[in-house]
Amino acid sequence: MVLQIDGLTGGYSKTPVIHDISFNIGHGEIVGLIGLNGAGKSTTIKHILGLLRPHSGEIKVGGMTASEDIESYRRQLAYIPETPILYEELTLKEHIQMTAMAYGIDESTAMARAERLLKVFRLETKVDMFPTHFSKGMKQKVMLICAFLSHPDLYIIDEPFLGLDPLGIESLIELMVEEKHNGRSILMSTHILATAERYCDRFAIIDEGRLIAIGSLEALRREFNMPGATLDEVYLKITGGGTQND
Amino acid sequence: MTEQLFRERMNADIERRSYYGKFIFNSHFLIFLTIASGFFLYSLLSLIQTLEPSLWQDVAAALLVSITLIPAYRTLLKRADGVFLLPYEAKFSRYMTSADRYSLTLGLAKPILGGIVAVLLLTVGHGIMQILVFVAAGIIFYVMNYHIKKAAINSDVSNAAVIAMLMALNFISLLLILQHPLWIIPAAIGIYMLMGYMRKRRHSQLDWSTLIDYEEAQLNKYYQNVALFTNVSHIDKQFKRRRYLDPFLWKPKGDAFSKERMYEYLFYRTFARDHDLPMIILRLILLFGIVMVWIGNLYLSVIIVLFGIYIIVLQMSQIYTAQAYLLWPKVWPVDRSFIQRSYITYSHKLVFVIAVIFSLVFLGVHIQYFYLVLLFPLWGYIINRTLSRTVYKKEQELSD
Repeated sequence: MVLQIDGLTGGYSKTPVIHDISFNIGHGEIVGLIGLNGAGKSTTIKHILGLLRPHSGEIKVGGMTASEDIESYRRQLAYIPETPILYEELTLKEHIQMTAMAYGIDESTAMARAERLLKVFRLETKVDMFPTHFSKGMKQKVMLICAFLSHPDLYIIDEPFLGLDPLGIESLIELMVEEKHNGRSILMSTHILATAERYCDRFAIIDEGRLIAIGSLEALRREFNMPGATLDEVYLKITGGGTQND
Repeated sequence: MTEQLFRERMNADIERRSYYGKFIFNSHFLIFLTIASGFFLYSLLSLIQTLEPSLWQDVAAALLVSITLIPAYRTLLKRADGVFLLPYEAKFSRYMTSADRYSLTLGLAKPILGGIVAVLLLTVGHGIMQILVFVAAGIIFYVMNYHIKKAAINSDVSNAAVIAMLMALNFISLLLILQHPLWIIPAAIGIYMLMGYMRKRRHSQLDWSTLIDYEEAQLNKYYQNVALFTNVSHIDKQFKRRRYLDPFLWKPKGDAFSKERMYEYLFYRTFARDHDLPMIILRLILLFGIVMVWIGNLYLSVIIVLFGIYIIVLQMSQIYTAQAYLLWPKVWPVDRSFIQRSYITYSHKLVFVIAVIFSLVFLGVHIQYFYLVLLFPLWGYIINRTLSRTVYKKEQELSD
C-alpha cells in the first residue's frame, strides 16, 4: 500500500473536523476524494501531508508515519494545492531547480524531465519569467510541472482541473494515466465528477467530516442500489442531494 | 454614517501606529535618536554661529521646506469599499472631509521639523518679518499642495509629475520670498491657479479603483517603513526582476545542487529581487555616510555605523521569516534546520559585505583611526547571530 489511513480524527484546533477516517491507496491507483464544500477533504489532505497532527489514528505513506522519518515520508509525496503557491522572486526555471534540489534529483535529470513537461504544458518559452506574472491556469501548470518532475510514489492533487484550459486538462489526464501505469498513485480531490468518473479507480466520499463510502463506481452503485447511475447521481444521493453547503 | 465609518477607521489607524510606534521607538533607537539629534543640533548651532548671510543659506532653507511640504493623502479606503460603498458615493463628502483633516494632521511632523531647521538657518541675515512671511507661505503651500495632490490622484494627470512640479514651485516661491516678502502674492496666486486647474481636471465622480489602489500603496509604504525596525507580517512583499544582478547570483553546481544549499540559493534571489530591501540598504548607507562626512565626529561615526549595521541586520531577518513560514518548506522533504543553516551562511556573507562598505566610508572620514574598522564586521557577526537566534526561537515557539 502507498497510503494507509487508519481511524484518522483531526482538525485545526482541539475540535475535530474529520472523524475516524480510514482508507488505503494501492500502487498504480487513482482515488478521487469527493465531498461538498467544508466536508473535510482539505483537512484530510493536510493531515496526509503532515501539516496537521492527528488527534487520533495513523497515516502511513510507503509503510512509514511522518513521525518516524519526516524527510523519507515527504519524499514519497508531491502536492499540488488548489491555489497555486509560488515564490514571487523565482523564475520558472528556478522553481524547477528548487524542486529538484528538494527531492534530491540532479540538475541534468531534472531539466530533462522538465523539458518534456514544459512542452506538454506549452511553457517552454517562459522558463526565464517569473510565474507570478502568469495567468492562474499557467501558474497551476507550473505547480504540475514541479510535482510531476519529482516522480513520487503518491501525488496529492487538490482540485487539479481548476483554472486549466481544455488542453491543459487533457495533458494532465494523460500524465496522470501515464504515472498510474508507472505504478505511481494519485489522490485527487475534485468536484468535476464526470472527469473523475472516467479516470479514478475508486472514490472516497466524505461528508460532514466522516468517510461515508469508498469503492469503485460499480461498488458504490451496488452499495446504494443505483444500477447504471452516474457518479454525480450516486454522490447526490449519498450526500442528501446537495442540501448542505458551507 | 460615513463620518462615523471614517472615525472608526481613523481610530484603527491610530491604534496601528501606536502599536508599531512601540517597536520603532524602542530603547536602542531612542538612544541613537537622542545622541544623533544632539550632535545634529550642536553642529547646526555651531554652524549658525559662524555662518555669514548668503544666497546658499536661503537655497538650503527653501529646499528643505519645499521637500517637506507635500502632505500625506490617506483616505483609509478598503478594497471592499469599491463594491459595498458605491451606492453611497453621493453621501460620501463627509467621509472625504474627515479624510482631509486626518491627512493634513498626519503629515504635519515633517514640515514642522523641516521648518524649525530652516528658521534656525534663516535667523542669520533675515528679519523677523521675512521669517514670518516665509512660515506663512509654508502653511499656505502645505494646504494648497494637499488639495492639488488630492485632485491629481482623482484625475488622469500623472501624480509623480504633479508632486515634482509642486516641489519645484514651492522651492522657487520660497526662495523668492526670502529675497523679498512681497513675492508671496504672485506665489499664492500661482498655486491657487494651479489648484483651480487641477480641480477642473479631476473626475466628477470618485475614481474608486485608483483611490483604493493609492490607499493600499500608502499603507504598504507605511508598513515598509515600519519594517525597517520590526517584523511586519502583513506587508505586501513585491519583487522586481533585476536581470543585471543575475550573473552575480550564486548557482549551485555538482554536489552543491542539493537540499543542504537550496535555501541559500533562494535567499540570494529573495534579497537581490526584493522590491525595496537592496535600495533601503543602499539609502541607509548613503544617508549614514553623508551624516558621518558632515558631522565628522569620531564617536558619532562609530555609533552611526554600529546602528546602521544593526538596523540592516534587523531588516534582513524578515527574509528568513518570510521563507520559513511558507507552505513549501513544510511540504518538501527537506529538514527545516537547512533553512536556518542556509540563512546563517547567506546572512553572514551579506552582513560582512555591508560592514566592509561602512568601513570604507568610515576610513574616508577617519583614516587615522583605521584599526576601529575591525569592530564593524565583528559587530555585524554578533548582532546577526543574536537576532537570528531570536527569530529561530520565535519560530520554534510557534511550531510547538
